Amino acid sequence: MKTPIITIDQELCTGCGRCREICPVGAISGMPDTPHEVDSTRCILCGQCVQICSGYDSANETFATSRVERLKQRGMLPTVKEPLFAAHYRGDINAVVAALQQPDTFTIVQCAPAVRVAIGEEFGMPYGTLTPGKLSAALHALGFNRVYDTNFAADLTIMEEGAELINRIKNKGRLPMFTSCCPGWVKYVEDQHDDLLDHLSSCKSPQQMAGTLFKTYGAKLDGIDPAHVFSVAVMPCTCKKFECERPEMNSSGYQDVDLVITTRELAQLIKHCGIDFTSLPDEAFDNPLGCYTGAGNIFGATGGVMEAALRSACEMLTGTPLPSLELEYVRGEEGIRRATICHEGVELKVTIVAGLQYVGSVLEQVRRGEADFHFLEVMCCPMGCVSGGGQPKILLPAQRLEAHAGRKAGLYSHDKSLTVRKSHENPQIKKLYENFLGEPLGHEAHHLLHTDHQQNRRAV
Amino acid sequence: MNAFVIGDAELCIGCQACMVACAQAHEKMPTAALNERETPFHSRITVVNAPEVTVAVQCRHCEDSPCARSCPVEAIVQKNAHIEVIKEKCIGCKSCVLACPFGAIKIIEDDMNCAAIFISPHDGTAHDRIEKAHFVVEKCDLCAGCGSPACVAICPAKALQLVEPDAIAQKIENRRIKNANRIRLYRSQLA
Repeated sequence: MKTPIITIDQELCTGCGRCREICPVGAISGMPDTPHEVDSTRCILCGQCVQICSGYDSANETFATSRVERLKQRGMLPTVKEPLFAAHYRGDINAVVAALQQPDTFTIVQCAPAVRVAIGEEFGMPYGTLTPGKLSAALHALGFNRVYDTNFAADLTIMEEGAELINRIKNKGRLPMFTSCCPGWVKYVEDQHDDLLDHLSSCKSPQQMAGTLFKTYGAKLDGIDPAHVFSVAVMPCTCKKFECERPEMNSSGYQDVDLVITTRELAQLIKHCGIDFTSLPDEAFDNPLGCYTGAGNIFGATGGVMEAALRSACEMLTGTPLPSLELEYVRGEEGIRRATICHEGVELKVTIVAGLQYVGSVLEQVRRGEADFHFLEVMCCPMGCVSGGGQPKILLPAQRLEAHAGRKAGLYSHDKSLTVRKSHENPQIKKLYENFLGEPLGHEAHHLLHTDHQQNRRAV
Repeated sequence: MNAFVIGDAELCIGCQACMVACAQAHEKMPTAALNERETPFHSRITVVNAPEVTVAVQCRHCEDSPCARSCPVEAIVQKNAHIEVIKEKCIGCKSCVLACPFGAIKIIEDDMNCAAIFISPHDGTAHDRIEKAHFVVEKCDLCAGCGSPACVAICPAKALQLVEPDAIAQKIENRRIKNANRIRLYRSQLA
């Protein structure tokens, strides 16, 4: 039995209650001035408590548990220098170190979009510095055999999710359709709103689509036995650790993603190995599963999945591309945003929720049958994945705003600088369908890239 | 007149969120990078956690500033509406630490200042000098230059408040009016 993913260290918690206040699902309880606890049955593992916690192992106090012991308990590298806060997540880095040292293991890594606009902060770069080249170079230097990208799978998600949305609209399927990229959101619907499960898109998240492909298509391309593949995902998210361990996430015949580490854990590993991140020369992600478009890259910001989906879906529905790719009306930071897109006689209504605490009224609207929109994007974290629980920690509210804004700007500027900005124009995605998957929503795609939420629920 | 931040011992729960916030507010590096330092958090506010009382203590920005008057190198000065330490001038003599009646001045190892200090050891051959840790003093500056006090903003128990000169004047005025009303009632009772 593995240790829980999110816990509060009873020895370090000062009982300030700020985690209790920020928890979007009321999973944290405790009296002021006494250590708080996480109810793991309600917790959606978003890690916002980890981000806000300010109780730490101050050198001015003595604790029964030594720092060395605490690092070990948390599954962290012994070289980690940062202060250890009470609210924390389970570290998984030691298994990555072990896998990298196994000569007969073929290691494949993927990185979520939000990692490349935040990891620089760990090395003193300004908030939001965009470093995809250094990130790829660091992963190569660490010895990963293939440095692929979650962004590729984000493009693939758009192909499948876009096709699913069009299918639901044309064939009067269950609407509005909910996005299924955010594992905390999926867990929340399962835990507390299971009557709405059929609204969730059947698409797996980009992380899981990537994992499945690495051990099937990817292994085939490299001519290796998928049994020898060890697949690691670097995520801004703590709930992704839970997602990769879900029992149904094994369409490749193996656990699709073996291990998830956070942005912070990767930074700690880079420091541990003595790699000078800031002076690394830029390197590209490996082809073919590291090839991505601007649309895949903006998944890391709230409204990004929606924008990427609209760029492709509107074109698929009408045969005419959108006049502009800057869909400002789905960007922003309000908790609930609504927009209507009219394009060539087609009208699409969408809703975007940023921060799970805002979703309640929208779900009630859906339940009462009063939802007049087609597509709902929900991200648990306040600004989407850029503000995830596994991102570099920021302690002050003002600095948090600055960091989130900077990281978002980094994602959008990267999108703008890429020549291909629509998922369906990704050349490697086209090739993948031609050579391996067939059609979006086709037999092979259905088997590898989709999941049945209601069946998963029954299996629990 | 100077402003100041004061803690309410009835409300303070001793969580030390103010200390972490204070340290962070005075940094220009991203939080994540700070964590690499030997002492990541230099706080200018201290939570007293004694059996009989729990409250945050920091500089009161005294009008008479015993700290500034005791400083031999004029490293403590009046700036706008607060008293500030100019770290670069501080020689680490600790006079201000002794002079401060609140215990609000902290001695810190200034690991950000690159100017190394070399000094002769006890047995003193001049060519055999040793490098010495660089200690300076630090205290509350009301977060001048970074907006409003971070400790007040973060306190989950609302136990800290910024007292500004205008607010003091208003408070005095309110009490006068309250008292004047009391006197009026007294007179009417007499009649």
